Amino acid sequence: MTDPRIRASIRYPNDLTVPGMWHARLVRSPHASARVISIDTSFVPEAVLVLTPSDVEPLGRYGCQISDQYVLAGVARHVGDPVVAVAAADEATAREAANLIEVSYEKLPAIFDERDALRADAPLVHDSHAVSDSDSAYFGLRPLADTNVCHRFRIRTADLPQGEPYTADPESDDHAEGFDAAQVIVDETFRMPAVQHVAMEPHACIASWHDGKLEVTTGTQTPFNMRQDLAGLFGLPDTDVRIICPPMGGSFGAKTFVRTEAIAAALAQHLDRPVRLALDRDEEFVTLTRHAATVRIRLGATRDGRFVAKRIWCWVNTGAYADCGPGVAMKMGYAGVGPYRFDHVAVDSYCIYTNLPPAGAFRGYGAAQSVWASERVTDLMAAEVGIDPVELRRQNLLVDGDVFCTGETMHDVHFEELLEDAARAVDWQPGGDNRGKGVAVMLKGMQTPSKAEVGIRRLDDGHYEVLSGTTEMGQGSAKAIAQLAADLLGVDADQVEVPPPDTDRVPYDTRTTSSRSTHMMGRALETAVEDLKNSGSDYGHGRIANDGGLDVDTGQGIASSHWHQGAAAAAVEVDDETGVLTLRSVHASSYAGRVVNRAAAELQQEGSMIMAIGTTLFEELTFDQGQVVGPNLSDYNIPSALDCAAVSQTILEIEGAEVHGLGETALPPVPPAIGNALATLGFRPTELPLTPERVLGCAEGPS
Amino acid sequence: MNVVLQVNGVAVELDVEPGVMLLEVLRDQLGLLGARGTCGVGLCGACTVLLDGQPVSSCILLAPLAQGHALTTVEGLADDDPIVQAFDRHHAFQCGYCIPGMVLTAKSFLTECAQAKRCPSREQIAESLGGNLCRCGCYVKIIDAVQEVGS
Repeated sequence: MTDPRIRASIRYPNDLTVPGMWHARLVRSPHASARVISIDTSFVPEAVLVLTPSDVEPLGRYGCQISDQYVLAGVARHVGDPVVAVAAADEATAREAANLIEVSYEKLPAIFDERDALRADAPLVHDSHAVSDSDSAYFGLRPLADTNVCHRFRIRTADLPQGEPYTADPESDDHAEGFDAAQVIVDETFRMPAVQHVAMEPHACIASWHDGKLEVTTGTQTPFNMRQDLAGLFGLPDTDVRIICPPMGGSFGAKTFVRTEAIAAALAQHLDRPVRLALDRDEEFVTLTRHAATVRIRLGATRDGRFVAKRIWCWVNTGAYADCGPGVAMKMGYAGVGPYRFDHVAVDSYCIYTNLPPAGAFRGYGAAQSVWASERVTDLMAAEVGIDPVELRRQNLLVDGDVFCTGETMHDVHFEELLEDAARAVDWQPGGDNRGKGVAVMLKGMQTPSKAEVGIRRLDDGHYEVLSGTTEMGQGSAKAIAQLAADLLGVDADQVEVPPPDTDRVPYDTRTTSSRSTHMMGRALETAVEDLKNSGSDYGHGRIANDGGLDVDTGQGIASSHWHQGAAAAAVEVDDETGVLTLRSVHASSYAGRVVNRAAAELQQEGSMIMAIGTTLFEELTFDQGQVVGPNLSDYNIPSALDCAAVSQTILEIEGAEVHGLGETALPPVPPAIGNALATLGFRPTELPLTPERVLGCAEGPS
Repeated sequence: MNVVLQVNGVAVELDVEPGVMLLEVLRDQLGLLGARGTCGVGLCGACTVLLDGQPVSSCILLAPLAQGHALTTVEGLADDDPIVQAFDRHHAFQCGYCIPGMVLTAKSFLTECAQAKRCPSREQIAESLGGNLCRCGCYVKIIDAVQEVGS
């Protein structure tokens, strides 16, 4: 029997129907910032339910890290903010009804650029910042009152001045201590634009109510966070909300926390019948994006190339709602330090509201933005001190036992092997002519702290059922979990069943993010199998936690209980007249520890690289007064089969090592590897994507 | 209006709105969920079906215009179809949402190659699949699978 995905005998959330369900559509704000004055529903047929902001205002606000979002917006804060929801017995009627609703607005001032939003005279996107009581707000949130900053994160290594007051103003925040011993300093500012996930399956959910209990079937990476946040909104105990998670048609971070589910649940509650809400492609572009960010890095070294100090400023554009932007800003901050030794590190990362569509989790979670800046700066330093870029990195890379800028001691470190492997793949000539070639190396954290629980039940037919909250979005988690359980049980993998998560059936898991699940579920499974063997019953329960976390005021603590480690190399050619950049080779080398499923590991690597190529060369969300320009796949291109010929990869495996997730590792190092290769040909790229126009715009002269 | 569609070798008579797209008829009236609406404008290939053996985007093909043509959806392929088998053997999928469209486009391309008695290169395969997008980025293994059948 072939895999059910090939001949479509698999059902995604978007495929599902239930008897008696109605269909929802949304009326969205055409303005980036506007107050709803009136809503005229007089042309809407009677047999259509219309919900307005005032109908859902009593539910209060939600948000995984900052409670800043109403179920429907009485004050729209971005173009596409849902203002009115309708439901009808069939989709065509719902669409027609949505079009017949007239909303009048009072336009308000809007702000779009993350640094403009910090100016003293910038309009405030939100008047106040209420920290969420959700489990997803797992670190100290530090919103700055009366500014657009909903969180700021700081690293100060021990010998630097501590506790200076915050100045969110990028113009005046220019101090950088710890550079006294630096003989060479490079200082550059970089920008990554917003991009979109473009999961092939759009968001789709069905919500229904049963005796006061809410049930939602939806594609999500965060079933337990969803349960908690919906319970909070609807005033229910967590156990009165049930989240069922069929396999998703891709997610990449887009299907996290509450997206469409609260609206569907509110409609279903009013109707007392199931309601389906599925988005169109253009709606995806205003639902969630990857954070645009400006990252400035100052790097100091001795003349012989020893890194002395690093100062990083991240201005992270989280759009109209914080979502998990504070977490992204934190990870952007420490990932930008990179896997290097320094005497001093200082980081300030600001998560900033603007009137753009909300930004949230995206494969590479913060690292993608700051690694672009950080690894470009490493090459700028290599050029300044006249040392081969691979050698300069090698001299400064963290090794086992070194202390990272957070104070944590590094273990199981493989940066040097990965870097050298990637360099070899593009035939790097140590100290020689490497024009057209570039490398990059990076570290990325895994969700810390987090918890994973899992159950194993022995079935009557001798098979086993694993009850796990890990969700399937194409990464092959169900297969990996079955394999891990089978290995521990000493049975064949086809004797282990892993049903899709259902929060009424599976024990708690933090979420399926940060490439944590194979690692954390694998460890939880070990304790579950042990419990099964010892309990004498037909059920074993496992639980595991990785403790740690960072002090957000000093950046000290445990950023990650283990590290995703990766390097990449690229070889490129550029047409000096047209600016067209051609990839000759792109190679990623990632540390896997122990590989559970070879094919899935390779697919995650290739997928990360191909997504990285898209966001390096052509993907970019542009806005006109906050309106996405071209929210469709005609204007917004993603890589096709014609864009992957140059891709190759290495998975560094070590017998008996612990399992490392591979879902994202090969993404962040690819853009700077390509950018660094381009830079050797007489260009100084700082901004992505590297479109022909932008390549020509950063030319330094003939190469 | 009444239409008669030939779907996977079976004639089905349906009452449809004249302006309805084939994709909606396949999914909502025939329960064939292998064709999937994703971009809505005929660009991503997730809604691909074969019309007289040629790949078409069912999200932009009016259902009445499909009358008189043989339609094949992924459900019409046998489990032992060499292309289905090759995708399985090469693990040429992640989430799988685009894969039915990918398989059908590859089927059409490989049928043409077989008729012309030529083995396609990787570049030709990539070209043939250029209208089928896979955000998971399974292209390397998809091309591997198609190349194996094509040789």
